[in-house]
Amino acid sequence: MRKTTVALATATLLLGFLTACESKSGTDDGAAPAPAASGEPIVVGSTLSLSGAFAATGAIHKITGEAFVERLNAGGGLLGRPVEWVVRDDESDQAKVSTLYEQLISQDKVDLIMGPYATPNILSAMAVAARHNYTMPQHTAVIAPLLTYECQFPAWSIGPTPNEFVPNQLLDAVASLNPAPKKVAILTNQNGSTDFVSYGAGNNKTGAVSITKSRGLDLVLEVRYPPTTTDWAPIAAQVRDAAPDLVINSGLGVDPVNLLQAMAQLKYKPPLMFSLFPAPGPPLGLGPTSEGLMSVSIFEPNQPTLAKLPPVATEIVNDFKTRATAANLPYTVFETQAAASWNAWEILTSGVKAANSVDNKAICDSLHSSGAETTFSGKLTFDPAQNNFWPTTSTIKQIQGGDWVTVWPADRAAAPLKGPTAG
Amino acid sequence: MITVQAALSGLLLGGLYALMAAGVSVTWGVLRVINLALFGMMLISAYLTFAVATAWGVDPLVTLLVTVPAMFVLGGLVQLTFDALKITELNSLLLSFGLLIVIVQAVSNIWSADFQRMAADVNPYATEAVHIGRFVFPAPTLLAFGVAILVIGGAHLLLRRTFAGRAVRAFAEDRTVAATFGIDHRKVGVLLAAVAGAIAAVAGMLFSLGNALTPATAFEWFGTVFAVVILGGVGQVAGTLAAGLLVGLLSGVVSVTLSPAASPFVLFSAIILALLLRPQGLFAVRTVVR
Repeated sequence: MRKTTVALATATLLLGFLTACESKSGTDDGAAPAPAASGEPIVVGSTLSLSGAFAATGAIHKITGEAFVERLNAGGGLLGRPVEWVVRDDESDQAKVSTLYEQLISQDKVDLIMGPYATPNILSAMAVAARHNYTMPQHTAVIAPLLTYECQFPAWSIGPTPNEFVPNQLLDAVASLNPAPKKVAILTNQNGSTDFVSYGAGNNKTGAVSITKSRGLDLVLEVRYPPTTTDWAPIAAQVRDAAPDLVINSGLGVDPVNLLQAMAQLKYKPPLMFSLFPAPGPPLGLGPTSEGLMSVSIFEPNQPTLAKLPPVATEIVNDFKTRATAANLPYTVFETQAAASWNAWEILTSGVKAANSVDNKAICDSLHSSGAETTFSGKLTFDPAQNNFWPTTSTIKQIQGGDWVTVWPADRAAAPLKGPTAG
Repeated sequence: MITVQAALSGLLLGGLYALMAAGVSVTWGVLRVINLALFGMMLISAYLTFAVATAWGVDPLVTLLVTVPAMFVLGGLVQLTFDALKITELNSLLLSFGLLIVIVQAVSNIWSADFQRMAADVNPYATEAVHIGRFVFPAPTLLAFGVAILVIGGAHLLLRRTFAGRAVRAFAEDRTVAATFGIDHRKVGVLLAAVAGAIAAVAGMLFSLGNALTPATAFEWFGTVFAVVILGGVGQVAGTLAAGLLVGLLSGVVSVTLSPAASPFVLFSAIILALLLRPQGLFAVRTVVR
């Protein structure tokens, strides 16, 4: 009897958990569709990492997607029909991603799909999309050479060779400083995307390490660390002893926070530091310790940047802030991840409008032929020969006065890049 | 020089590992309960530390006044539930894993899945360190080390030198015989689980001093904590401290002499070797009778 009770309690807990893993947006979430939108809803299916390792960023994509769908329905829907977004929690598990996309397409028969978040999950979803010939916009996959399915459309492009573009753009930027850095330390998280930017992949072994050397800079330290690293003190001590002018951290999440904190405990701060894909909020909490930190970005809502965009961009940015605040997100700024998410939805809807249909083949073809208009990255064009990775709009951002500011290239900068003495 | 520094830093971090593992080890060894909910209690305490310190602007250490009693009660309640359900060792793993999932989801709903971290103005410890000559002792891990010595050392003395401690040890050795001598196993069990909860609260607070938090953090602790529990010997309090320090030391030294990437490989290879040579744990004084 007691065994039965335990089994029932466990099953109830699991059932409750699984039920909580699915949510819907659009017509079912209480937001009234616009009068002009009528008929059967167009159903968009996707997964997001709402729990697990990628959940911090998954939450941003969920809020952005909900805001987009609500705005879309308020504006008359898509092809005159309301849009319903079914999003399931893939728990940051790429095995679950495949299963859930298979269910969405084969069983739920969704009309359209949207890609998940994070490169490994996107690669899993892409295989399912390719099998069923679905068009799949995807938010943020970095390893461009692996994204060979012709109907996947990136919403954040660092070009077809990010492993070359990112280091070159950074080193161009810091070369503009006086004095320019000469000694470089490269610290690489062994996650797929970050390792790719440092060391390349497949036949292209170019990356931050080889580019640093080929530009005649002195590579004084090279460290690869596992994603599970918890003890940052040894790495920090190695950096201090190597005394680089520039630290390139091909890192993720809170890696730069942990590194800067460990270095601060040694009473050391590198003159310049760059981190590839940090969570944007935590470094700001470090105060002066993180001042001057650089990273990549496709959008920061700096006033000079917003002034160049239509007013709707400011509306979207403000709406996101309200929603993110309500969702208790600690960092409520509409920046790279949210902009990439917004781009992805605009790619999907541009394709549907151009095809005047929800036929996935027609959508894919129309995106190849007509591209997509986006609010934050302008007109995008897709060349299958480049795996649809459009000419990059990626920039360098820097923490200045406690906020992220776009600083490079100069024609898109909201403020000049600051050197070590200006921090 | 850098190797010595890495060894020192690793030793200090090992104190935190030991604190995180202490409750798991004791409840497993004595109560025969593999209580994964303790990871949830560490998580809740870490978040409460963040929330209370941030909202009220108090020193993070002061938040122990909130988290220790709360987790003491929660730890006891979980054990009462296990007792009421007459749960087996394996079922305790399943049920407490379910409980951990619920806690992680609740934390995610309350504080979001995004990274949370105490700002520099409320957490002065994060970037502080004690400097002795060329050597540096980071404040968060130095505190963890000191607290680990106090808490685990104190627990060890209590178990060895007091009647309650002898009761716990007798209970661990043979429940039936202990009961015939008037030891109320339920009371002892609930008290022990409550103390494990309180230690989890301390570990959670100390973790939050030096780290950003996400709900998934709880799962990231599994590998290291169970490594410490197994190396130290299940149920061996002092062994947990020694194993925690060894794991921290080994990780730190391997990080600088080989590579941080080699650290998990060396650590878990050492654990496999240790299990082959001393399955009862490297630091087990004697095997707990099962």
